Order: sequence, then C-alpha cells, then structure tokens
Amino acid sequence: MLVPEAATGGTYWLASYPKSGNTWFRTVLANYQRVEDEPVNINALHTGGIASARAMIDDLLGLETGDLDPDEIDQLRPLAHDWRDKPGEAIYQKTHDTYRINSDGTPLLGSRQTRGALYFIRNPLDVAISYAHHNGTGIDKAIESMGRENHGLNRSKKSIYRQVRQHMGTWSQHVLSWVDAPTLNLLVLRYEDMHADGWHQFGQAITHLGLSLDDERLDRALRFSAFDVLKHQEAEAGFIERPGGMKGFFRNGKAGDWRSQLSDAQIAQIIADHGAVMLRFGYLDMAGNPL
Amino acid sequence: MLQTAYGLTIASELPLPELPLATNSNGPADVSIRFGSLPDSDSTDGQRIGPISWVSGDSLTLNVPHIARYCAIGGSTIIIDPVDGIDDDSVRVFLLGSMMGALLLQRGFMLLHGCAVEVDGKALVAVGPSGSGKSTLTEGFRRRGHAILADDLVAINTDGAALPGIPRIKLWHDVTEHLAIDRTALPRIRPNLEKFGLPVAEAMAKGPVPVAYVYALGSHHGDDVVIRPLDGFARFNLLLENSYRLRFVKGLGRRPQHLAQATKLAGQIRARVAERPNLGFTLEPLIDALLADARA
Repeated sequence: MLVPEAATGGTYWLASYPKSGNTWFRTVLANYQRVEDEPVNINALHTGGIASARAMIDDLLGLETGDLDPDEIDQLRPLAHDWRDKPGEAIYQKTHDTYRINSDGTPLLGSRQTRGALYFIRNPLDVAISYAHHNGTGIDKAIESMGRENHGLNRSKKSIYRQVRQHMGTWSQHVLSWVDAPTLNLLVLRYEDMHADGWHQFGQAITHLGLSLDDERLDRALRFSAFDVLKHQEAEAGFIERPGGMKGFFRNGKAGDWRSQLSDAQIAQIIADHGAVMLRFGYLDMAGNPL
Repeated sequence: MLQTAYGLTIASELPLPELPLATNSNGPADVSIRFGSLPDSDSTDGQRIGPISWVSGDSLTLNVPHIARYCAIGGSTIIIDPVDGIDDDSVRVFLLGSMMGALLLQRGFMLLHGCAVEVDGKALVAVGPSGSGKSTLTEGFRRRGHAILADDLVAINTDGAALPGIPRIKLWHDVTEHLAIDRTALPRIRPNLEKFGLPVAEAMAKGPVPVAYVYALGSHHGDDVVIRPLDGFARFNLLLENSYRLRFVKGLGRRPQHLAQATKLAGQIRARVAERPNLGFTLEPLIDALLADARA
C-alpha cells in the first residue's frame, strides 16, 4: 500500500558521491512510503531511479542520446529534468552528478521542478575503501580517482552505457558543488550520523522531503532497511544495482573501517587531498588528525 | 530519383546516402522529405507532449536544439528546418531515427525498439534499451549469413511482419574493436561521435518477414547466457515496455491502436528474456543460445 502524501510536487535530489549512504536512504524512503508487512524488495525500490538513466532521458526527449555527444547531452538534460508527464508529481531522484550550471546558465538538473536536495556525505577515508570495493580496484586507485578533477562515471566516448556521462570531479569538489550551491534548499546528512542517530537523522530528512513524519512508519522503515536485511535480500536474490565484477553491493555498512584497513600513507594522501572539506564536516580535528 | 526504406518509396531533398534506390520509381513517392521553415514550436497552437516535442492533429514536431526542427505530417511528409551551418550527418541521424519513427507510427505500423534478423524465414526480434547490444547482435547475425531487417527500429505491419529498414548498422568504436572492423573506410554517424555506420545493403531482407520470436536483452551476474520463457501477460508487457517512442504513440492519439497491435502480436510470438554475463564480450554465445532456442 502506498500511503498518499500531501502533494508538494517537484523533484527532490538524493545526491552523493558514490558509496555514501544513498542506496540505504532510498531503501528507508521506499519502506517509509509503502506500508507493508515485510521489507520492500531492494530490486523494486521505485524511488525515481537515477537522474543519469539514459532510457529515461531518451524517453523524455524523444530522441536517442546515443546520437549526441556528452556535452550536447548535458545541454539537453535540464529540459528533461524540468519536464513532468504528471503535473504536481513529487519525485525523489538519486544523482551522483556534481551540482553545476551549464554554459547557458541553466543548472544541469534543471530549475523549474527542483524543490530541494539531500546531500549524503561520508568520511572520505571510508569512501575510499568502499569505492575500491565497488569498482573492483585497489584502494590506491580509488584514492587517486577521488583526487582527480576530471573524474566521473561513463566518461568514455567510444562506448555507450545505460547511464549518460556523470561529471563528479574530486570528492571535495563534489561535496562543495552541492553544499555551497546558492539557492538550493539543501539538507546535509553525514553517513556516520545516520548510523549513530538514525531516528533523528532520517526523521529530519523525511520532513525535508516534504513528507509528513509518522513515528511508527519511520520505526518500521528503519527496521526493514537494517543492514542485515539488505544483505540478506542481496544474498537471496541479488541486487540489480550491483555493478558487474563487484562481489556484493552491501559490504559491511559500518563507519570507521579506515582505522584497520588504510595504511598511514593512504590516510595521509586523503587528508592532503581533502583536508579542508574533512575539517569542515568533522572528519578532522583542529590539529589535522582524522576522527 | 526515389529511394526506399521500410517498404516505402521516399523522395528527399536532403541526400540520404544510406538508402538504396527504389526498384519501382514510377508514380509519386510515398514519403516526401523536404526543407521548409517551421515556426517556433512554443508559438504554435500544438500540444506539447515532451520537453522538445509537440503534436498538432496528426503532425509531430521535434525540436533538436542546435541541430534542426523537424515535422512529420500525416505519414507522408517530413519537413526539416535545419539550424544554420549544421552538417548533413547530424540532421540525418534524427531524421532517420525519431522522425522516421513518427512517420511510421502515423502510417499505422507497430514499432519496437529492437533489432531484427531473419532465421529460417521468420523474424527474430531482440528488444532492449540503448546500450543493450542490439546493433552488435545484428552485425553478429549478418556475419553468420542471416538477412537483416533493422538494427534499432523494427516496424511491424498489420500482418505481423517486420519490414526491412535502413541498411546500415550503427556501431560504437569499442564494438568495431571487438569485431575487428576497419574503421578507416566507415563514415562516422556524426563528426563529433566515435560511432560508425556500417553499410549492409547486400544483407537486407528483400521484403516483410513474419515476426515469430521476441527476445528481451538483459544481463546478469552469472557466467552463461540464460534464456527464460515469458508467458501471457508478461509477453504483452514486454512489447509495451519496448515500444519505440511511446511518447509519440500517446501524443499522436494512437494508444488504443497500439494496445490492439501489441495484443495481436503477443498472440503470435514466442517471447523470452535473454540474459548474458554483464562482464566480457559474449556475442557468439548469445547468438548460439538465441538460434538454439528459436529452432527448438
């Protein structure tokens, strides 16, 4: 049963660098919106997909984005994101794009429908481990990617992907593009806080998305989205969002893995690359030591 | 000089080097493609059916920014209003894609987003979104000597037969590498894309071929190609989900006809899901599996 909401309409972006709690949040949201006796199937979250889904953009535009180059696609995306087939419909859409403005002054994600955004941030020391796992690479490679200004997803021009190119920049650039975006109605959620203080953090997020907060529903949604439940579902039936080559999408869902898994040199590199943003979001103390 | 595609004769002011000459050049063309001035779509009284598409009666307008504005009218005319200085290739790619689709819908064809090849006198259609491997599969079948019907847009007539479409396969750079195709002789689809047009005129089917098999292309985490049957309502859903430009179908008011066509086609086909490993290049095992299943 889908619980009807007071329709505020428009798009709320669920934005993050990969591996920062976005899928976890979407699972909680799906369980919050659909009041069932058992957890929502992770392979049928139906929380609006990802903003870079090529099939969705092609359908909206009525053309093949495979016949456009990535820069041309970026110019057309605002038109697609601003369109609604059902006027007044609220959409909660995941994105790994940086928040940015096209050369013609239009935000990549459009402006007419955007009502707000959640930005999920996670300690880059832990992101590096999870991102390496996600991509099936070593941790050093993940650290290098997170520090590269031209880093993004599906960047090859020689191939076609199910998603269009997504520019991400460095981890720090990604964070700042969203949290410092002027006029964006934004709530930042730290992955670590979502773990330590789930009730309050998720409750705040639900309210930010224009949904009414119901304690009982939130309680059930959190139980149905517990890490063990997600991992069990993946073990039973797989997870369609798991990339090829990755062993399991839901790995251990903890914060602070870096203490046992990163070398001193790796920690030093990440702090050198992202120290300022880490300090701002409480991942470094004033003396520059990781927390 | 008339050319042909999808069983129609075409007279075009824009050169269409992909299309063969029509064998029957007598009489007026079925389709006229010409340049003309099209008004700014926002200033017309048409209904907006998408961010860059409009419908007015049986006319559909698509405005591809920085390239061209197109209007398909009544299944017989396409007017092109190109942006100043744009190259012909860029104009042609959307003409032969979305606009040909709009025109075929206006003429009452059922369209699937898929590729189609001939197997033992029947059409095997493989449907799936962009990037699911339709063009690569088409080229794989061609190399095995199968006649080709289409690599992206399958038009099915009221008898349930697929028509031979545009005799070229669009292949990305990485696929030409996998298939060891010499790119130096191939035209790019557009100057700014690493995507090439492989001419396959000699491999085209000579006429309509009845559709017997529809496979939905997918991928999975396993190591083998897996084929799963679909029954009843799932067959119908498969056809709806993989219809070409459903937005145009609805906009042109052809939804009832489309549902009737899908119902009829669902009754005549064997439908399957064909999943291959999501890692690696598994064209040959996929073709083997499709042929074995179709011939079983």
